Amino acid sequence: MHVHVLVIGALFALPGLFVLLRTLQLGGELGETLRASMAPLGRTTLLATSVSITAAVLGTSLAWILVRSDVPGRSVWRVIVVLPLVLPTFVGAAAFLAALTNGGVLAEALALVGAEAPRFRGFWPTWFVLTLFTYPYVFLPVSARLLALSPTLEESARVLGRSALQTFRSVTLPQLSGAVGSGGLLVFLYTVSEFGAVQLLGYDTLTRVIFASRVSNRATSFTASLVLVVLATVVVVGERSRRRNRPSDDPIRTHPTEPVALGPWRFPALALVLTTATFGLFVPIASLTTWAIRGLTNNNVGFDGLAEAAINTASVGVATAFIAVLVVLPLATLLVRHRSRTGEIASIAVVGGFAVPGLVIALSLVFWTLNAPVVGALYQTLPLLIAAYVIHFGSQALGAAEDSVRAVPRDLRESSRLLEPSPVRRMTTVDLPLMRPSLVSGGGLVLLSTIKELPATLLLAPTGFRTLATEVWGSYEEGFYAEVGVSGLILVVLSAALTWILVLRRTDVIRDSGSNGP
Amino acid sequence: MLAAACTSSDGESVTVYSGRTENLIGPILEDFTAETGIDVEVKYDQSSNLALLIQEEGDRSPADVFLSQSPGAMDFLDGDDRLATIPDDLLGLVAADVRDDDGRWVGFSGRQRVLVFNQDLVDEGELPSSVFDLTDPAWSGRLGIAPSNGSFQDFVTAMRGQVGDDATSAWLEGLAANDVQTYPNNNAIVAAVGRGEVDAGLVNHYYNYRFLDEDPDHPGRNHQFATDDPGSILIVTGAAIIEGSDAPDAAAQLIEWLLQEDAQRYFADETFEYPLASGVAPSGDLPAAEFAGVGGLDLSGLEGGLERTQELISEAGLEG
Repeated sequence: MHVHVLVIGALFALPGLFVLLRTLQLGGELGETLRASMAPLGRTTLLATSVSITAAVLGTSLAWILVRSDVPGRSVWRVIVVLPLVLPTFVGAAAFLAALTNGGVLAEALALVGAEAPRFRGFWPTWFVLTLFTYPYVFLPVSARLLALSPTLEESARVLGRSALQTFRSVTLPQLSGAVGSGGLLVFLYTVSEFGAVQLLGYDTLTRVIFASRVSNRATSFTASLVLVVLATVVVVGERSRRRNRPSDDPIRTHPTEPVALGPWRFPALALVLTTATFGLFVPIASLTTWAIRGLTNNNVGFDGLAEAAINTASVGVATAFIAVLVVLPLATLLVRHRSRTGEIASIAVVGGFAVPGLVIALSLVFWTLNAPVVGALYQTLPLLIAAYVIHFGSQALGAAEDSVRAVPRDLRESSRLLEPSPVRRMTTVDLPLMRPSLVSGGGLVLLSTIKELPATLLLAPTGFRTLATEVWGSYEEGFYAEVGVSGLILVVLSAALTWILVLRRTDVIRDSGSNGP
Repeated sequence: MLAAACTSSDGESVTVYSGRTENLIGPILEDFTAETGIDVEVKYDQSSNLALLIQEEGDRSPADVFLSQSPGAMDFLDGDDRLATIPDDLLGLVAADVRDDDGRWVGFSGRQRVLVFNQDLVDEGELPSSVFDLTDPAWSGRLGIAPSNGSFQDFVTAMRGQVGDDATSAWLEGLAANDVQTYPNNNAIVAAVGRGEVDAGLVNHYYNYRFLDEDPDHPGRNHQFATDDPGSILIVTGAAIIEGSDAPDAAAQLIEWLLQEDAQRYFADETFEYPLASGVAPSGDLPAAEFAGVGGLDLSGLEGGLERTQELISEAGLEG
């Protein structure tokens, strides 16, 4: 078991090792570059910290509202609220910008109240846009956790006289802290690696240094990448050591949870859901639609290749999600059940991978594949591309995988071992049903991230392999906004469909007939 | 040479790494396959990323041809000895100032730097003949630029080559002092000019034609600076054969295809670029372009290259 996990850890560490290697090799004025990187590093840290805090608060609130309370239409909202994750951030930011300019949805709305659209650049707009596009990283694992949790503790608290709010704070929240923490960490790491929105909205972060100097001064570029990797490692180590003292299993949910009647609080709750969905999804969609319609009426949209791109996107996304979950599950099992040191070290490599920009991951895999024996044949094939995706996004499945392992408590495992000799049967009839909500939510995150991935796809995919993301990018680069609109909308619809079919329909453990409904 | 291009080479294929997107160059590459029977496999991405990929792949690179929008990216590969020499007869198809002196790359289409302006907000009489006029207080707050954009940086590099670092630095600082508005890319500038958010901007010439194509009511128009002004430089889209390619003949054939009448007409008429092969006139809508100092884009001659340019921009306080 341990060797297997070391191999996994080594694979995920490939990008970091590549960055270290190149930094040392290229020399350059290390001191000078480090000094010049300090200000961008500060801005990256500030942005990532603030975005992860607000995304965590927003994601957790929405999860509680849409899982535990009685607001109407919860199952529909649960799909909608996840979707902002689907848009590549540069498209989302561009669409948002378009909405704020003359004729755009938000500009019109502001004009109605006599206000002018603000100039949308700098820290606050970047923080706002990134929060809106990343809170699903917290929403998905927290809602999966809420669905899996046993209500017994909460019910006892209510019986003993605690109010709903007090119960939430003293009973529910501690049980959620793991999911909130790992989701918040993902938001932090994503923001650290982000480049599209940050460039569009003019906030000068570490990734800007990496990209601006990538050809003109590779030594600087790699040094800045190293600084980024170190930052990510420090933060990941910090977060995971905070989580070390969690119990290794949870009580099983034996009966469905009664939804909490919100009464008059229904309206603010619904308002929060609606506002989030409006800014995170409907506004960008409105811009995409405007672009698409303008193009269709002018009759200059090229539809070639979009169907092929959609099929490629869907199949590669689903395959990656599946493989990513399979890859991290042994590590998750080791971490939860055996508390192994090796496992902890490997998990740092896995989670840290999420902070490395896609371009760097792609270049690292080019390096390792072409310089290692045998695997050279895999260069520019789909398996290598999927490997790049798994390395980049596997972290999103790890936290969920750990939650899924925790969902199968020891006494249940022991009794099932006594009653059922076949391990395979045990797995399918006892373990899997309990693990499924979290596994599927983790896989869902990987799926959504893979669907919109761009830099690694452009570099590593077999030539001629189009995805919806590459189509959107190609049109965007040259200002063919009509095509951006059409392919962007198809991206959203496809992701919504996949999310609904594969993720949200499967996250209920116990199919119940009424109260905690679908 | 023309006869050789018509020979069918069944089963042969050539791999292209293209910094020019599929919408713009795909049809030409398909026509090449139809004409010669040689398959073309294309990888699309930004020129800089592709250059990094080719460099990382080393002699195991599958790439045969590199098409670059960025002189910096081409220069990077040249400096790393990754470019092979192009046959002389191909080099002879274009003027000497749009190809590499050592014959390692050849320009096949051009993009000119212009001033795009909103015709409802700017009078004909106000239009400057030199880019240096833009630091005049009359232009305070009315101009947009994209400091992080490759083409802008290429233009500033060429300016350094023509007038030196000090004058360039002074101009950049003058813009900053004149409340210049910054944008992330050329599209954003043209869109802003169309909306009247700024009155004018420094961009590549063809963006405005695309905007007019999608919206005939767009009020933006292009203005060319004087012939030998740094503001009117031509940025060349270059083609090169990768050193160590296993299909150098097919690669040369492809480059020749790009320089022939059909492809050059396509660039002129469909994508509004400037054709560079001698004897091909630009599209009727485009003004005749008198190119200024294109040879100055040979970055290897310039102290500090692109990096120094980025430093100057940053020192002037103009980060995008």
